[in-house]
This record gives sequence, structure tokens and C-alpha cells, in this order.
Amino acid sequence: MRTHPMSRAILLALLAGGAPLAHAGDGSDTMRVGDMQYGNGLDPRGGSPLMTPDAEGMSWLHPGMLRTPSGALYPYPYTLAGKPVGQGGDWTYWGLLQLGYIHPGGDRNAEFFRQYTDWKNGAALGLFAMGFDNRRTGQYVEFRGSRISGDDQYYRLRAGRYGHYRLEAFYRDMPHTVSTNAFPIWDGIGGSNLTLPAGLTPGGSTIAAVQQASAAAPRRTLGLTRTRTGVSLEGELYRDWVGFASITNERRDGTRLWGGPMFFDYPFFTDTGSPYGGDGGIMETVRPIDFSTTDVDLGLRRVGKLWHFNALYTGSFFRDRKSYLDYQNPFLITNVIGVPNAGPVVDGEYSLEPDNDYHNLRLELSRELKWRGELSLAAAYGTMRQNDALLPPVNCTGTLGFAAGPLQQLIPCDLWNTPAALSRTHSGARIDTRLFDAKVTYHPRRNFCWHADLRYYDEDNKTRYLAYNPLTGQYGYISENGAQGSVVPGETGIFDNGYYAGSIVQIASIPFGYQDTVLELGAEWNVGRSDSLSLVYTFDHDRPRHRERTRLDEQRIKLSWVSRSLGDATLRASFEYGDRGGGRYDYDPYAAYYSTSMPGFVGAGGLPPPAFTVDAMRKYDMSDRKETKARVILIYPLGDSSTVSATFYGNRDHYDALVGRQDTRSTGFTGEWDWQPGPRTNASVYLGAETTRLKLANVADDESVVGAAGRDDPRFGGPLYPLENYWHDLDRERDYNAGVTFAHDFGRVRLDLAWNYAQSLSRLNYDLASPGALTFPQAAPLLDGRFPDNHYRSSTFDAGLSFPVTASIGVRLFGRYQSGSFLDWHYLGFDDTLVYDHRVYTDRGPQVHYRATLVGAMLSIKL
Amino acid sequence: MRARPLSFVAVLFIAVGLGGVLWSAARAQSTSAATPAPAASAPSTGLTQADIARMLPATDMGAGAFRTNNPHLQPVGSRPATPFDAAPIPHNPLAPDADPVGARTCVACHSLEDMRASHSLHVQSFDAGAAGSGPQAACESCHGPGSEHAKDPAQPGAIIAFTHGARTDVPTQAAVCLGCHAGGARQHWLGSVHEARGLSCSDCHNPMARLSPEGVLAKPSINEVCATCHKDIMAKFERRSHMPLPEGQMACTDCHNPHGTLTRPLLKTDTVNETCYACHAEKRGPFLFEHAPVRENCLNCHDPHGSNQQTLLVAPVPMLCQQCHTMTRHPNDLQVPTNLGLGPNPDERLMGRACLTCHTNIHGSNNPSGSRFHK
Repeated sequence: MRTHPMSRAILLALLAGGAPLAHAGDGSDTMRVGDMQYGNGLDPRGGSPLMTPDAEGMSWLHPGMLRTPSGALYPYPYTLAGKPVGQGGDWTYWGLLQLGYIHPGGDRNAEFFRQYTDWKNGAALGLFAMGFDNRRTGQYVEFRGSRISGDDQYYRLRAGRYGHYRLEAFYRDMPHTVSTNAFPIWDGIGGSNLTLPAGLTPGGSTIAAVQQASAAAPRRTLGLTRTRTGVSLEGELYRDWVGFASITNERRDGTRLWGGPMFFDYPFFTDTGSPYGGDGGIMETVRPIDFSTTDVDLGLRRVGKLWHFNALYTGSFFRDRKSYLDYQNPFLITNVIGVPNAGPVVDGEYSLEPDNDYHNLRLELSRELKWRGELSLAAAYGTMRQNDALLPPVNCTGTLGFAAGPLQQLIPCDLWNTPAALSRTHSGARIDTRLFDAKVTYHPRRNFCWHADLRYYDEDNKTRYLAYNPLTGQYGYISENGAQGSVVPGETGIFDNGYYAGSIVQIASIPFGYQDTVLELGAEWNVGRSDSLSLVYTFDHDRPRHRERTRLDEQRIKLSWVSRSLGDATLRASFEYGDRGGGRYDYDPYAAYYSTSMPGFVGAGGLPPPAFTVDAMRKYDMSDRKETKARVILIYPLGDSSTVSATFYGNRDHYDALVGRQDTRSTGFTGEWDWQPGPRTNASVYLGAETTRLKLANVADDESVVGAAGRDDPRFGGPLYPLENYWHDLDRERDYNAGVTFAHDFGRVRLDLAWNYAQSLSRLNYDLASPGALTFPQAAPLLDGRFPDNHYRSSTFDAGLSFPVTASIGVRLFGRYQSGSFLDWHYLGFDDTLVYDHRVYTDRGPQVHYRATLVGAMLSIKL
Repeated sequence: MRARPLSFVAVLFIAVGLGGVLWSAARAQSTSAATPAPAASAPSTGLTQADIARMLPATDMGAGAFRTNNPHLQPVGSRPATPFDAAPIPHNPLAPDADPVGARTCVACHSLEDMRASHSLHVQSFDAGAAGSGPQAACESCHGPGSEHAKDPAQPGAIIAFTHGARTDVPTQAAVCLGCHAGGARQHWLGSVHEARGLSCSDCHNPMARLSPEGVLAKPSINEVCATCHKDIMAKFERRSHMPLPEGQMACTDCHNPHGTLTRPLLKTDTVNETCYACHAEKRGPFLFEHAPVRENCLNCHDPHGSNQQTLLVAPVPMLCQQCHTMTRHPNDLQVPTNLGLGPNPDERLMGRACLTCHTNIHGSNNPSGSRFHK
């Protein structure tokens, strides 16, 4: 890993500190991404043990609690009295230590039970929190920490002096379980080199042997842990100038599911009579996660009477300690013409993510204008770069491929497995971004305001790479580590003016980018004291580079209504309509980056190359679209002690596409009732429902035409893309959520109960014009137009009893019962076997049914 | 277009609402038009402590005794009334002639509020002001000059209030807060969606008590604050794949700045992708071979708030990919249940992680042989 001199300098500057700083108004947290929340599965709020409502309430002048301006009740304040530190000093402190024992049971390894919480049997630190305040000087120190396990913990320190400076430091481990049901056949999981176990021969194992190895593979949990540490300092540097600096480092360590292609298996899934099977191979492997990212943020701002100035620098430096994944292939890869291959395809390889550096500098300037107006200007420049050493196109040795008559398709590995086979040895990849934003806002009258906003953003991809091998004089690459070239004649991935003159391959990188200009005009009218209407018009002019369209224009209009005139309720409603169109749609904008544009390209068989795709395809980020959105949010105070809130919403998107995404819709409702009759009691009930649908269409090509006349015809309804091969998918989903909470303090005992329920049902329907849409038309009689329904259900019941033992010691007993069920047709059959001919999978998918429990006892000590 | 019924209902809804608005406008109070913007208040007269004492209610409702008996609170008389000397006293447009009366006066009645507020970072900062040399403010730094309120506590609008039903309008409330908190993270508050929706700072924050571990929030956590209005978004975090918000590891404000930003969804960075790269830095690249929709916008394929597909995908694979890919041969075949593992024709394009089993480096490949994200 490279080191970061700048990071070190900033860290030193942070540690040096000590300069007398004055009057930092407030923090910059909400300007920086991440680390705003410190909690865990035991206590998502990150301070719940401190949140015991005080029986005295908030005021002696009125009963109950006041509400937010929109009508939601504020919670009752908590008992949080400080104690003096020593005699006669100015420091006070408060503190709480909660520790105990937790015991997960039942299906404790279920993926959805431990997705982001590392439940372990043993001692746990519920919360250790302490605060020190000096009421005279304004100095303070606060600490919070909690620990479920070594992979699930956080510790956070804040110290400073009100109005002067603030220092923060933290350490946290956050787990993420990817699968608890993984059975990889390889040795070396977690590393860069996956090797086959004894009993399997790379490039030459029988299917039975692979099945045996898969069945014998131990169950593993795949996942990762994010370990973040950081320190930041913020304070006023001089008069109104406030500065901040922070540095954060994240280590990400673990494993994830990954792939491993050795060309297709589905076209060849027939009984060859050989125990080795034949043709391509598919592997679901496991990759290592071994990342380190250092982020540096620097900020300087000045808030004057008229001028507000912000300067922000963000630097991010990502390092991947594992730059590749090599995996051994167990299957015998054979070619379709039936001659022996020159050598077995033994190894596969992936490049993993390269190290990268990122810098972004943003300057913002606002000036107050008369009529309560403001002119705000912002400009930002960013650059992301990486220059990793490139891996050679293959890592094979010897010779791959085959030779049979005119098909002299031998791949000499030594001409491709070296950096000398590259047009350059390092990536030299770079994308620069530029942002400019100007906004003016005026309130010429108390009841009227308007604003205009112009935003320009440009993303310029400067990466240029030519796939050219100076050792052979050929263009292109070696596909799938030589596997494709060991199966199919003419499809090695290489283009030249000889044997591969008809090969259609990508020969250069495509520097995607775009330039987006958005103009927004808006006006708001306050109608009386209690209602306001606003109208916003937006024109979005997007100029994508190297895409199907060179111009995309979208006009949007949004009408909003905020009302406080409906009794005590606050209602916020909005309706938005957008219409996107653009320039001519070019279904093949990539020709310049393919071998078909090269001199010497000769269509195989003397035919023009096949159409790149069907001309009716409209990619959904580029297609014409009409969008409608509506939303109503209601907050209604019900009596003095309860609140009803509800949201109704719906989105409709219609895409003008015969082929591609055609339609998406979602409609939903949420409702909640909160009840807070006094400090001792609170309850809530929550319900939510949403339906969504997505419709798409596609057309299977007539593969008999791919090598025949008419293959260059892109027309929908032409010989290559006939109408009888047209098909649709309709994915519909219904989601339901419910929740109930209840807490009551009986005096000696406080009881809290919570139930949370989530359910999703999804159905995928399809229809087809004819069996020609299918890979295996003979399966048509077996089809009924739908997939098995997917579902996901999770029900969690929590209960807790808290009671004091002495004035400063309390006990909390708690339990959780979580059950769930899951079905995803992607994994159907995987419980029986993970090996299907020349395919071997690793993950059986999440547990279909699970019931897990958690019980615990915590001792709380007020310090 | 199938969306027309919804559009019609929405337009009807808005039209009805408009009627209500116009009706309510007819009975609008004339005072609203004349209220100027809040500004620092200059006392109309130079009140003395003796004047203030005369204006106090006849009883302090036992507040003095309460404070005396509470060892954790300093006696009111032992500290300067307004120690946080940098804080201005905002002008209350509904009580333009009011004068500051000092925290001691306020606490005479609002003693319990004072104690609650003393646990809040916000008020602690006032309590612990540096010089102790300012005007008689503290409470009045937010609530405006209090003399009119002290004379007639029941008079609406005599004090700047931040709660439901207050006569103080939301722009005035926000202007008070921005009097100290302008700029920085709130540089783009004006014109932001939350400002336009009439949200007051105190919809999300409550500086009068410590209700959250950090942030002076109106509810115990950031996510609960956001869920007050955005419950549908919070519900998505209960789905099969989600960011770890319910598990307490993240907050909405990790990605969004609710105070306003340069983007419509209130993202903290220049674009959606740059927000995602902040945690998923490995996806930043740039890569030798880019996947166009990935580089354009992560949301083309992912719903960051939650999904019932794997890895936050917006549709099941391979259908997600087939919305764009129909090139000859393998991408465009209709996949059906007979291609599942249990079926007669298992197909790697459908099983497990489908397309991603082969095109694994779908976020971009840095391999010279990776133009199809195979390597």
C-alpha cells in the first residue's frame, strides 16, 4: 500500500492543535459523508439506556409535551442530571455503564438474523457513556461506546469548548454478513489464489468428482468487517473564519461471492457420454476483500453579515491489497468441433479493483441581497485517477486452443501472458469533473418568493486504452483466459488481418462521460398565514458522450401545496410531471471502438457483420420517458397526547420503448399512530403497504440467421430479430410493513415491547409471441407464464424489563424472537446440489425458514 | 397513458386544495403582510433589573426553591444573565416594541424548562459563554425580547415560539436559527426542498432538551427524525437487502444533508455516484473498461434505500440486464422456470447470480481482457 504524505501531515496538524480558537458556531458533520450514527443491533439509537423519561416532564406551566411546528410530539425529556466533580469545582459529570451477557439461540447463523450484527454468545457492553461539562468555561468531554463482539463495536469521543473548538475521534467495527450458506470447493478462501482440493484436477476433473467435492465442502460464512477510525478538529481560526480538518481510515476485510467464467455451459448441457462433460464451464468463486481507504476533509468557512463563504476539500485514497483473483478451473473445456484442445484451460483470473486517488475542491459563496434575497455561487473541480500496473491478458502457460484444418486457433500463452503483450503497462485512467451552480433567491414580499438555479456539471473521461499486442501485432484480448477460444472457432477475442479478420471484438476503452445543464425556476406564494403554493419548472439538458443519444432533454414541472389550515393538521402535497425526449437514438454508437471499424475487417463468410442490436431497443436511461409523481404527507395531532401521520404516494413512469423497459409504477401508503399520554407511557402502531411493477420487453434473435444473410438487419421484425421472438416480463411486488411499540413504567418495573414485521411478495410473469423466444423451445409446453413467487418475510418481537436495584444500579432483562422465511427462485435446487454439469455454485442462498432468539441481561450502573 | 387517472386525481386534489387555500386567504390576518424580517432587536428603552423585577409575575412558582434544592443547578443569581455574548437577540415582528428582560426573568417561571435545557448542548453553550458580558439575553437569543411576554404570558406571538400552533411563522423561526447557524452545512438552505416545504428547524431539532445522543434532535435518533415524514423510505430499509440503518450503523444524514445542498435529493456530494463512492471507494475507479450506466448513475441499477433483490438491485437478474441488452445470441433469450436449477434445462444466465456469475466485474474492469467485465 502506498502511504499518503498529505494524510500524515493533516494528522500531525490535528494532533498538534493547541492554538487558541474561538467561537465555532456549529459543526460541519452534515457536510461530510458518513459516520453520523453510532449504534448497533443491540441499541440502534446508540444511547437508549440513557433515555428514561423523567416523570416531571418538560414544564410546570402546561401538561404534556409540545409539538413540532408540523405537529409531531416531542418526546418527554430524559433523566440526565449531572453531578459535581469534586468539591467546589466547575465540572459536572454524568455517566452510565451497562454491561451484561447475551445469548443468541435457534438459527443464529441465519443470514437475515445477522446481516449487520455480529451476535455472539458472551459478555457484551451495552453502553458506556460519560460526559463532563464545565459550566464556567464551556469545556466538555463526551464518550460513548458499545461492544457486541470484536467485529461489532464502536467508541466515540467528543471534546471541546462551546463556541471555540471541537475534537472528535472514533473507532468502529461494522460487520456485514454476505452469506452464511456458502460451500466453496476451493482452498485458499480469503486469498488471491483459489486452488482445487485434492481429488480434483485443474482442467480435467469429472463432474462426479466436482459434485463430490462440493458435497464435502464445509459450510462457510462469507462477509466482511469495516473497521473505521477517524479524528477531526473544528474550530474558529480567526474572527468569523471557521476551519475543520478530518482524517478517516477504513479497513475492509473479508470475502464476497464472485464469478468464474470459462465460456457457456447452457448450449452444451447434454449428456456427452463422457464423465468429464464438455465445452465451457461456470464457477461461482469467492473473492477477497482487503481494502483500505483514507479520506481527508478540509474545510474553511466564513459567515459574515452579508457574505457566506465555504471552501471544502475532499481527498480519498483507496488501496486494494489484493489486485487479482486467480482460481483453478476443475472442468475439462472442450471445443465444439470435437478435436482435442492443445492444452487444458487450468486457470481463470480477475483483476480486482485498482488503487485510486480522488480529489475534490469546492468553493461556495453566498451573498445576502435585499428583499431577503440571496445570490449563491458554487464551483467544484474533482478528479479521480488510477494508474495501476495492468495484468497481462492471460495467466496461462503453454498453448491453448485447437488446430483442425483451416481452424488454426492456437493461443501461444507466452505471447500473451506478459506485460510486453500490452500497448501500455499501466492504466493511466482518469476522470475529471467540473461543477458550477448559480442560484438567486428573492422574497420581494412577505408572501411571495422566487428562485432561479442554473447548474452545470461535466464529467470528462480521459482514459484511452488500445487493446493491442505489440508482440503479435494483433488487436483485442484473450477472452475468458483462453476458454472461449478453446471452445468456439473464431472467438478467441483477437482481431487481426489474418485468421481473425472476421472477429468482432472491442479494441479500445470507451470514455463514457456527460455534460449536464439544469435550469430551475421556482416561485412560492404564501396564501394567508397557513397555506403556501409553489411551482417549480426544471429543464434538464444532458449531453452524454459515446452513448445512444448525444442529447437528452427533460422538462419537469412540480406543484406543491403546504397547508396548516386543515384544523391542527399539517399537509404537504406535491405533484410532479416530467417529459424526457432527446436527439436521434443510435442503437450502435460504439462501432468506433470495435474491430468492425478497423481496416482489414472482413465479415465472416463474406457477410457483413451482424447488427449490434435491435434498432427498437431503447435503454431506459436514454429513452423517451413520461413521469408522474404524487405525494401527500399528513401529520395530524389527535388530542393532546397522540399523533396520526400518513403518507400516500405514487410514481408512474412510461418509457417509449418497444424493446427495453416499458413501464414502472409504484403506489404506497404508510400510516402511524403515536401515543404519549405521559412520561411513563408511550405507544405506537405503524402500517405500510406498497405495490410496484416493472414491465420490460425484449426479442430473441434468430440464431440461425447469425451466420447467414440478413444478419446485418437491425430491424425489429427483420430476419435477425423476428416478431415471433418477442417477449415480455412483468415483475410485480407487494410489500407490507407493520410495527407496534409499547413502553410503560409501572413504578418498580419498566416494560418495553416492540414488534416489527416486513413482508414482500413478488411475482414475475412472462409472455412470449412464440417458442422462438426461448433458448429451448421444446420446453414451451411446460410453461405456465410465471415464475414461482418470491417472498421475504421477517418478524421480530422484542421485550424488555428494566428495574432498579438501588438508586444507581438497575437491571435490564431482554429478549428477541425473530422468525422469517425466504424464497428466491434463483436458488431453487441449490439445497440439493450446487453442481450442474459444468457449473459449480458456492452459495445456496439465504435460509428458507429460520427462527432465532436472543436473550440477555444487562446491569446498568449510573456513574 | 395509464398514469392519467392518477394525474387526474392529483390535479383534482390540488384544485380542491387551491379552493381551500383561497378561502382561507380571504380570512387571513392582516398582520401577516406587515411583518418584517427578523433582525437583531434594539431595546426600545434601557430597562434596569428593577424594571424587570416589577414586570415579573407575582410568583415564580417555586422556581427559586427548586433551584436551591437542586445541587446540580447553579443559583440564578450567581451567574451573568446572558453569558453567551456573541448571540444577538432577534427581532420579533409580532412584538416589535418588546425589550429584553434577561434569563433570570424567564427562569422565574420556566424553571423546569431551564433545567431540561441545561442538558442540551445548545443551551449549555449559552450557559457557558465566554465573556459573560453580553446583553440580558440567553433565552431571548432565540425567543426574542421577552418584556411583552412577561407582561402578558398568554398573548400569542408576544414571544418567538417554535412549536405547533405558534403565531410566529416558519420563516421567522428559521431566520432566528440562521442568525447563528447560517453558512457551513446550511449554505444552501434557501431554496432547498425542506425550506420550500415549510419545515422549521424545530421540526427536526429541539434545543430545549437533550433528546438524542447528538445533534440536538427532536427525536431520539436521526433516522427517527427523518421517518416523521419519510416513513415510506424507512420501510424500504426493512427489505431483504438494505443499508444498515435499522441496525444503527448508519443514518440518513450519512448521505443526505437535510439543510440543503447542490443536488435535488440533498446529497452531500456533487453527484449520486460520488456519494456512493464515499463508502464504496473501490467502485470509483476509473477503470480501463467502464460500464456506461454504472458510471452514469448507481441508481440505474440499485435502490440505496432497500430492495427485495440481492445487493439492492431494482429488478431481478437477468431481467435487470435485459432491459438494455439484446445483442445477438445469449443476452436476449427469454428466461423461464425450466432454466432454473430444478428444471430440465438449467441455465447459468438465470441461476444464482445470473449474468453476474460471468460478468462479475460489472462495475468496471481493469483487466486488459476485461471489456466484457469477465475478468
